[in-house]
Amino acid sequence: MISRTERVVNYTVLVVLAAAVLVPVGYFVLAAVSPDRAGRPALGDLRWENFATAWQSADFSRSMTVSLTITVVVVVVGVLLALLGGYGFGVLGVAGERALFPVVLLGMMISLEAIIVPLYYQFRPLGLTNSIPGIVLIHLGTGVPFGVFWMRAAFRALPRSLFESAELDGAGPLRMLSRVALPLIRPAVYTLVLLSFMWTWNDYFLSLVFLHGDNQTATVALGVFQGKHVTEINLMAAGGLLVAAPVLVLYVFFQRKFISGMLAGALKE
Amino acid sequence: MTATGTRPPARLPGTPSRPARAGRAGAPRRTSARRRRNRWIGLGFAAPGLLLYGYVVLVPLLQSVQYSFFRWDGVTQAVWVGLENYTRFLTDPELRSTFGHVLVLVGFFSLLPIALGLLSAALLTRTRLPGMAAFRWIYFLPQVMTSIVIALVFKRIYAPEGPLNEALRAVGLGSLARSWLGDFTWALPSLGMIGTWAGFGFCMVLFISGASSIPPELYEAARMDGAGPVREFFAVTLPGLRGQLAVALTLTITGALRTFDLVWITTRGGPGTSTLTPAVALYRAAFQNPQVGQAAAIGVVMALLCLLIALTITRLSEKD
Repeated sequence: MISRTERVVNYTVLVVLAAAVLVPVGYFVLAAVSPDRAGRPALGDLRWENFATAWQSADFSRSMTVSLTITVVVVVVGVLLALLGGYGFGVLGVAGERALFPVVLLGMMISLEAIIVPLYYQFRPLGLTNSIPGIVLIHLGTGVPFGVFWMRAAFRALPRSLFESAELDGAGPLRMLSRVALPLIRPAVYTLVLLSFMWTWNDYFLSLVFLHGDNQTATVALGVFQGKHVTEINLMAAGGLLVAAPVLVLYVFFQRKFISGMLAGALKE
Repeated sequence: MTATGTRPPARLPGTPSRPARAGRAGAPRRTSARRRRNRWIGLGFAAPGLLLYGYVVLVPLLQSVQYSFFRWDGVTQAVWVGLENYTRFLTDPELRSTFGHVLVLVGFFSLLPIALGLLSAALLTRTRLPGMAAFRWIYFLPQVMTSIVIALVFKRIYAPEGPLNEALRAVGLGSLARSWLGDFTWALPSLGMIGTWAGFGFCMVLFISGASSIPPELYEAARMDGAGPVREFFAVTLPGLRGQLAVALTLTITGALRTFDLVWITTRGGPGTSTLTPAVALYRAAFQNPQVGQAAAIGVVMALLCLLIALTITRLSEKD
């Protein structure tokens, strides 16, 4: 039980913090539907058509398709790689594990900055710069350490006896993975899907370096768009909300999983 | 390998505790043969991911080190220069300044968010009242917004005719109004505030989860001793969050060191070089007016610093 004064103080602090977070976002949302090019909010005159105008003039159809393609492929293939790797490390054991696993862990501490330069200059002669397969490859490769680590922890949380009895029933490794383990680790897979979707969709640095022109992702296209329309703040804000929308929608629908996923990602082991 | 044992709540990657192999000695022979076979099948399962990781991360990492000893414009023949790209960190004022900026950013990206995260987590775990979930939701919101949108939001807020200056003028502080991101003195702190805004929700979630594993008896004991909310926080909550603090410090400090998107979209490192960060310097050197070797050296130094920070904080947090 806490005292009345304390409760009032607590609420006040919490509300002030919440306002500090929400006011900038709210201002931006109002700017996006403002009739004024300077983006000054006008509550009586909401211009929803700003979204359509921004969509067309930034040619978002193309860049959103690029972003969506990259994100879907990275999420699907990445989760598959993580499942296989995590199952190997967590359940079957991996030959050479003592040497291999620390190397995988190292990957979680290596920043993109340390590898981006050779990646670019090695990928260029192979035709993998400014190509969607190229950037998908990079997202997948850099995502392996976290994915494997994350799924390994999930598999290891399952009771060992489960696999032993399945093995006695004659189930092979693949069958054990798909029939026995997979249904039980769905929550972990789910979180990995959300995180991987968010990280890939929100990426800016990689796509800025690797993709140009028609292959631009939505985040980079938005940057270009705001550079061209510095005087049309309302359209720029509308475009920003369009680009942020997919992850925001996920957040609204899966908020509990999203928060616990971020948490567990930073905490496990 | 046995797969038992609960892990300590917070442990940074890099110090895996090895599960003991004991307890399997008496297992039948057939099982151990199968186990050995499984290890090769396991390698086969992990292989696609590991190969891709090797190709995309490990090989370029080694190449980065190699590149960093050359002067190369990305086109003509590369020239071996030894450590020159590294000594420039000490001699080139522009490059050197980036690390000073990082120190300032650490305050805004790490210390301030952690302080606010602690405050909000303490309040949210102490006051179990309706509406708490909503606060948590709101504070975490910036975490899912893409960095470019966050940058655009604040570019607008900080604009000469933007809401911040208008508010200042409205309350008679018009003399303080300025182009925040265009001001030599204020650009870096203004940029830093964006990082605080975006990052504290993450710290909060981290601390809330940590606080939930603190035994309630500790709080009861503290209250029996007559501790108020503040004493209780410093005596029970803070020590209980040691592990989470280590994680938060590591992630936010390396985050400050690596800041790119926010700077690139808001100031491009300007005015002058007042908001230049190592990552922006790397980008320029790699892709704008190519000095590829210099860029690689910046990347290598950043990676080493990140590693060093992570290891130091882990070590410190595990010592008693």
